[in-house]
Parts: sequence; structure tokens; C-alpha cells
Amino acid sequence: MFRTSDIVLIAVMVAAAAFTYKTKHEAEDHQVALRKIEQQIRFEEDTIDLLKADWSLLTQPSRLQKLWQTYEAELALQPLEANQIVGIDELPSKPLTIEDLSSQHLGGMADSRGAPSDGPDKIVTGGIVQ
Amino acid sequence: MISLLRRRRKQAEAGPASIVLEGSRKATGGKQKNRVLMMMAVFFGIYATIAGRLVYLGMLDPEESGPPASRVTASRPDIVDRNGEVLATDIKTASLFAEPRRIVDADEVIEKLSTVLPDIEVEQTYHKLKSGAGFVWLKRQLTPRQQNDIMQLGLPGIGFRTEKRRFYPAGPTAAHIVGLTNIDNQGISGLEKYIDDQGLADLQASGLAIAKDLRPVKLSIDLRVQHIVHDEITQALGRYHAIAAGAVVLNARTGEIVAMASVPDYDPNNPFNAHDKDRLNRMSAGVYEMGSTIKSFTTAMALDSGLANLESRFDASRPLRIGRFTIKDFHGKGRVLTLPEVFIYSSNIGSAKEADMVGIEGHREFLKRLGLLDRLRTELPEVATPTEPKEWKKVHSITISFGHGMSTTPLQTAVGAAALMTGRLLPPTFLPRSQAEAAEIGKQVVKESTVEQMRYLYELNATKGTGGSGTRAQVAGFRVGGKTGTAEKVVNGRYANDKRFNAFLAAFPMDDPQYVVLTIIDEPKPEKPGVGATSGLNAAPMLANIIRRSGVLLGVKPEFGHESGATVVSYQ
Repeated sequence: MFRTSDIVLIAVMVAAAAFTYKTKHEAEDHQVALRKIEQQIRFEEDTIDLLKADWSLLTQPSRLQKLWQTYEAELALQPLEANQIVGIDELPSKPLTIEDLSSQHLGGMADSRGAPSDGPDKIVTGGIVQ
Repeated sequence: MISLLRRRRKQAEAGPASIVLEGSRKATGGKQKNRVLMMMAVFFGIYATIAGRLVYLGMLDPEESGPPASRVTASRPDIVDRNGEVLATDIKTASLFAEPRRIVDADEVIEKLSTVLPDIEVEQTYHKLKSGAGFVWLKRQLTPRQQNDIMQLGLPGIGFRTEKRRFYPAGPTAAHIVGLTNIDNQGISGLEKYIDDQGLADLQASGLAIAKDLRPVKLSIDLRVQHIVHDEITQALGRYHAIAAGAVVLNARTGEIVAMASVPDYDPNNPFNAHDKDRLNRMSAGVYEMGSTIKSFTTAMALDSGLANLESRFDASRPLRIGRFTIKDFHGKGRVLTLPEVFIYSSNIGSAKEADMVGIEGHREFLKRLGLLDRLRTELPEVATPTEPKEWKKVHSITISFGHGMSTTPLQTAVGAAALMTGRLLPPTFLPRSQAEAAEIGKQVVKESTVEQMRYLYELNATKGTGGSGTRAQVAGFRVGGKTGTAEKVVNGRYANDKRFNAFLAAFPMDDPQYVVLTIIDEPKPEKPGVGATSGLNAAPMLANIIRRSGVLLGVKPEFGHESGATVVSYQ
């Protein structure tokens, strides 16, 4: 009759079959998923191509010029004139500003704070108030 | 298990029941045989029917349905400008078809489709769907969004076919340069054709042209400058009521064509009129008598030969008689002119004397050297061959000295002028070329001293206060120099004095020319009554506008050093 080894072998066979079936099934599932993703990639690529074309259409100089003409009043843009272009070396140096240190309160004896406020002392060196 | 069965069989054979069975079988023997035969007949009949049906179906042609066989639309590389802006690209579009035989309810289909495609014609579509045909197109070239929406409707009996289509975002702006493709996506004109000739056609034929592997083709065109050129010539066409206008911007140092346009043109996305005769690319595929712009070459020739210098004098006080021809000056001064005066007053007599000084052979050789008499070699397929007299006689040499009697393409004239400004002749190209590459292929055609003198003359002609004909082409800051050309057109074999072909040939900045610009305008009318229609009044302002708008984009730094010396910044 049935020997133990037979039963074991049958069990192994059935298990192997089950495993193969499961693996195959999974592989098919993955294949389906892969195909789906590939299709999605293709779709995205096509969309990218289309958006690029769309972008270049929207940034066409001729279109921008038409938009400028339509919204001239609102935008108040002017064509760039040649004399508005300068190199960095041609920029005039920044005007020299001298900080007015004399108005700062230094404190001490010479400070005019608290004195009757009619401005700084009118007496200049060598001058006499009349 | 098998041993188990055997044991049972043994038991059955041993039993007495078998005898009874045998007896009963004998009793009904005749009927049994009949039944077997009947069963056989029935089964044979069934299988024969099935087999017969199979053969019948096998012979039958399958029902016609589905869209027509897919057209292989080969991929093409994108074409981009020098900054990577797209000039031509492939886009996939979906077209909607229906198989009326498979449609269950035509009304429902139309009702649902009209939610996505509001402009669908209900009646026409209804007839199509009821026609019982195997296949009908409902709408070509849908947007992807519409396609998706229709797919969401889940209607039976309708489907999509994707088609590749060439799309030109720039529209007519660069139409003549980029060219066109046919319905099979093969280049038929312009640089599209050039790309095919470079091996793409073979790739497509062998099925190896896969969209991903095709690198974009970069051109030397700058779309911004191209737009400016196209815009200005379109405006000029309307302003001067001309029949055609065109312009080219050429990089004098590398030979790259930065912009080139000719109007009237066509929309490459809908090129129904692309092959009309008046819509050709006049800059390269049209030949014209270039008129006085050719005097640049005559003057350069006189200087280059060493027979004349800037102090040379030419007697232009009396009209010149050659056989039955009399050569007069348009802006006649009636005195002896110096060489620079001959140039800036555009004296025909003076130019004729310059040519006479060099001689017929020398004249022809010089024009040949500058490539004005040979067919231009460049990437663009639409290039016309210049015409010249079969046999050069003195009269030919003299008329050619001021641009009549010889026709050449405007593009070639610009290329020749670039050679005068830099001394080196470079074949023009629509593909990027570096200065190093240009240095290798460029060959010296005129002496350095001639180059210096020609630069001086060009600048002089466009400087205010000299009486030069090109002062209207001057643009503050860009140091433009150039030469006008007003050619009378031949009508019925005679030169008509009211039909003109005007051109302006210029270079900038004059202290070291980087760009050569040529504008042409065919049969311009005066802008206002009472004003002339010579080149200085239409071709020159066109050119000035182009340079004013594009100078900075071309990378030329405006300088006011020897003019007003004032920039906006210095006021602030």
C-alpha cells in the first residue's frame, strides 16, 4: 500500500505544483502591472512632448508682441533703447555720501541737549554775536 | 490500485451473471445492431455538419471592419534654434473613428459625443453612423484631453487611431528655413529635407528612427531675431505696398545665418499655399539684379587691384556712351568725383570707370572669387543659380559694375559683403559654427587694406552730413555702415523707371563688423505721396528697425563714444 515515502513525494509534488502556479500567477500579475506602468510612461512622455510644444507656442515672440499690443495701456512697456544698455565697468561710481556726524549727541559738557533749543550755537570761531 | 481492480474483474468473470447477460444479448441482437448504426449515423451527421460549416467559414472573407491599415509615420528629430527654442516637433494626435455596424444606438452615441465635442454635426454624424459602413472617420486630430473624455464615455463601436504630425510652433516666422514635411513625415523642403538627406531617410526606411534616439537638430537661427526680421518685413510690405520683402542677418565672422525671412510666406501648419509662385523664399531661391549694392564689390575690386586708392578721381561730369547705351547718374553731380564720392553718391559713371580700369577678365574673376556668380552651397535645398552674360563684353562689365545685367541671390550678396567686411569668404550655414571652425574653412579673398578701406566707405555712406545715401539706416549706438541699391526692374525687356527692386546692404558695428544685414523690397510704392521710393527711403529704414530691435539680442554692445557720448545712466 502507501508507503510514507510515497505520501511525502506526493506532498512535495503537490506543493511544487502549487508553488509553480502561484509564481506564474504572480509573474503574470507583475507583467500586467509593468505593462500598465509602461503605458503610463508612454502617455506621460507624449504629454511632455505636447506640453513642450505648447510652451514654445505660448512663448512665441510673435504671440508676446501681440499680447503687448493688446495690453499696452496696462503694461506700459517700452522698447529697450540702445542707450539703456551699459556694461558694469561703465556704471558711474556711487555718489559719495558723508554721514552727518555733527548732529549726533555726544553727551558731556558740549552737548546742547536740554539747552534752549534755538539750534547750534551761532558763534563761530572768531565771530561775535551782536 | 490496479491490483484492486484486477481482483474485482476476476470476481465478475467468475460469477454466474455473465451467462444471463449473454442470453439476453442474443435475444435482442438485431435491434442492438440497428441502434449502433443509427447512433453512428447521427454522430457522423453532426460532425459532417460541423466540418462543413468550418470549411464554409474558412472560405468566407472576414467581415471588413476597423480602421484602414496603420500608416507608418516615421519619427523625426525636433528642430530647435540656437537657444533651444523649438521650431519643429512631432506631436501625436488621436483621430476618432466609428464602426457603424457595431454601434447599438446611434442616438445615444451622438448625444454622449456631443458632451465632449460640442461642435459635432449631429445630422451628418447620424447618417454616418446609420450608413452600415464598416468604418467612418468622425473627427481627425483631437486633443489628448478630448480623447480621454471620449474614452471615459465607454461607447462601443468607436475607437482611436494615433497619428504623428509635424508641428511648427513658430508658424510662418521661420517657415522658409525650417521647411515642410509631407503626409508621411518625410522632409520635402527647407532644412527638413536637408535632415532627410543626411541619412534620416535611410534610418526611417530601415525602421531604426526611434523617437527617443533622435537628437534635436540645432540651427544657427535665433528665434527672437528671426521674429524681429519677419515682423519688420511684414510691416514694410504693408507700409510700402510692395509685392515682396525680405531680409537676412548673417554673422560675418562665422558665416552663420542668424535670421532670414521672406514675405509673402505661408503657415507651415497649414501649407495649402506653400507652393504658390510668389511665396518662394526670395532670399535664396530668387535671383535679382541687385542694383547699386553691387557697387560695393566694384569699389572693393578697384581698391583690391591696387589700381585705385581712396584718392583716385573719376570723371563723372558727362554721361558715358558705350555703343547704343548711355550711362547716367541718378544723383548726378556733374563733376569729377573721388572714389569715396563715387561710392556715397552711388555714381554709375564712376563705377563703370572703376570696372573699366580693372578690365573685363579681372572683373569677372573678382565676382567669381566672392562667390557671386556660382550657385551657393548651403544646407537649404532651395537655392537659385545666379545668371550672368554668356560672354562678357565691355558693356556687360560696365552694367554689372552698377548691378545690372547680372542676377544673383540676395543671400549670396550678403555673404559676399561679409567677405568684404572681414576679408574671408565663408560659405553660409544654418547650423551652428564656431569661430575656430570658421577660421579653418574661411579663405582670404581680399587684402586686409581693402577690408579697412571698405569699412571706412560703408561707415562714411551711413554717416550724417556726408550726403551718403544710407544715412537713414543709422542706428544710434550700433555704428551701422552700408550701401543702398535701387535697381530698375525689367518689364517687357526694358528697364521700367517706376518699378524698382530696392536693397540695403549693411554691416555693424563698423569698427569691427560682426553682422551683415541685407534687406530687400520688391516694387515699393512711396509711403506718402510726393516722397520717393528709392532704397534709402524704404530698405534703409527697414534695416535700421531690424538693427535697433535686434542689436542687443545679437550681443553687440551699443557704444556712443564717438557720437553723443551720452547714455541714460550718465544723466542720473
